[in-house]
Amino acid sequence: MISLAQRDIAHSLGKFLTTSAGIGMLLGVVLIMIGVYRGLVDDANILLKDTQAKLWIVQQDTLGPFAENSRLHEDVKYQIKAFEGIKDVSALTFQNLQLYRNNQPIRVFAMGYDIHSFYTPHLLIEGRPILANHFEMIVDQKTGFKLHDEIVIGRDVFNVVGITKDAVSSSGDLMVYFSLPDAQKLQFLSSNEQIRNDRARGIKTTDTTTINAIIATVEAGADLKTIGQEIERWKHVKVFTQEEQSSLLTKNLIERSAKQIGMFTVILLLVASVIISLIIYTMTMGKIKEIAILKLIGASNGEIIKMIVQQSVLLGILSFIAGMLFSHSLMDLFPKRTILISTDAFSLLVIVIIVSILGSLVGVRSALKIDPASAIGG
Amino acid sequence: MPSSHQSVIKVEQLAKTYGKGENAVMAIKECSFEIFKGETVALLGPSGSGKTTLITMIGCITEPTQGKLYLDGELIFDQHWRINDTRKLRRQKIGFIFQSHNLIPFLNVEENITLVPLMNNTNPKEATLKAKELLEYLGVENKLAAMPSQLSGGQSQRVAIARSLANNPKIILADEPTAALDAERALSVMRLLKKLATEQDVAILVVTHDERMIPLFDRIIRVNDGYVSEEAKS
Repeated sequence: MISLAQRDIAHSLGKFLTTSAGIGMLLGVVLIMIGVYRGLVDDANILLKDTQAKLWIVQQDTLGPFAENSRLHEDVKYQIKAFEGIKDVSALTFQNLQLYRNNQPIRVFAMGYDIHSFYTPHLLIEGRPILANHFEMIVDQKTGFKLHDEIVIGRDVFNVVGITKDAVSSSGDLMVYFSLPDAQKLQFLSSNEQIRNDRARGIKTTDTTTINAIIATVEAGADLKTIGQEIERWKHVKVFTQEEQSSLLTKNLIERSAKQIGMFTVILLLVASVIISLIIYTMTMGKIKEIAILKLIGASNGEIIKMIVQQSVLLGILSFIAGMLFSHSLMDLFPKRTILISTDAFSLLVIVIIVSILGSLVGVRSALKIDPASAIGG
Repeated sequence: MPSSHQSVIKVEQLAKTYGKGENAVMAIKECSFEIFKGETVALLGPSGSGKTTLITMIGCITEPTQGKLYLDGELIFDQHWRINDTRKLRRQKIGFIFQSHNLIPFLNVEENITLVPLMNNTNPKEATLKAKELLEYLGVENKLAAMPSQLSGGQSQRVAIARSLANNPKIILADEPTAALDAERALSVMRLLKKLATEQDVAILVVTHDERMIPLFDRIIRVNDGYVSEEAKS
């Protein structure tokens, strides 16, 4: 049997491809939105995964440095290390910084770590880890800085000794790394004038040995819950497992952003559905005379439904392919990471096919109402 | 003249009323006539007289309100349709020719002609062979792969005639097949239909306004304000 859908498409191929490209752009935006969401979730966990820690020790009654302000004394790390089951610890600081490159501001998230501990940035792709306790730093390649660049921060000049790839904070800011003393100095050391003023107020300390969190690894077979409860009981701190910290990040911190993106995605999908339905309806209405002739010469409803549904599904599939090309060609232009994964693309394809079939039903309904007698007469 | 007296179209007290009650309009008042195998019959009448209603009832497109309709000896309508699938009947027994050829624009000439036979599950090779034979018979054999937009008015109408014959119909219903053609081509098409009726043993009912074609018909049925009457040829 002749495929009426194929012949009709071939007859107006340019129009069909242009329409597919148009819907494809819309679907491409849907894919990018999903990719942005994936990027958001993945970014949120990059730092956590990079630490390879099992436990996070933070200030009591807080949710940790990514959600709330958390301050601990640095020497607590020695007390934590003394707990049974703890293998190693590392003190960490976190702070937002603004660097300048060619007079252009770059917002970064700075992490200070104990260079003699188990932790080292695993995303390093060039150079070396920080070896000296002062004036060395690691930057992410997207900051634009190169190895051996010298960056002025505060009162000091830092030498770039390492470059990371795709190192971002939970909020998507690019990561830079310092030794713990340097990071503490950047975050907690006041200016000379401030110290003078503080002394005049009776504040004597200029202590910079504060940290934001301690991460710990544990001995093989150790029970994380038990160790955490022990530390909380004796040290008056809050302990999270890596999974709990990850859950806090994805559920609490990016939940609203994710919902926002999800809403946009749903709205875009609805818009795409309405547009596909309207296009199929218009395409069908453009063939009223041909459908009337087909009915008149004896074509069954099945043949006519097949023609409309096949065209609709083909339009959906071509639009999806156009959307894939569109999204893949644009994804790298987005400032934050966009991750397109095949399962999302496949899910969208299934949705598009379902929407195409549902969208064609309006056209089918109209086509079935066409009176074959309308083919007779001028 | 008819090659035999085998009735192919038979209507008895057939009528069609649109609307109900006070708004009811009787488009065709009770009419009875017969058309035989090999006959070419003209259906004449002014615009709005009911010609199209009559032809669509005979073509099983419009359901009559009352009366009986027989096609190829089979009772098709008697108070209601007596067959389940009127479209199947159309694609098996009836060929249609329209005023403006009405070829499917996205199918080429061969596909336009083979469409109905293929819907009737005819072997594709046989359908193509038949299409070639018909086009040769109608003098447009070199247009097999052409699209309808590439044909002239006369060529399109010949292809439309080929399409109407592709399913070996018993009946051809033609709605003003010469209206869009100039006088010379119109005469040529009508002569062709006449030839087809006798050579292919088909009953042809032609709706026309063109009085110049009347001599070519075996009989004339006139429709006027819903009244159907047979007219003797002068």
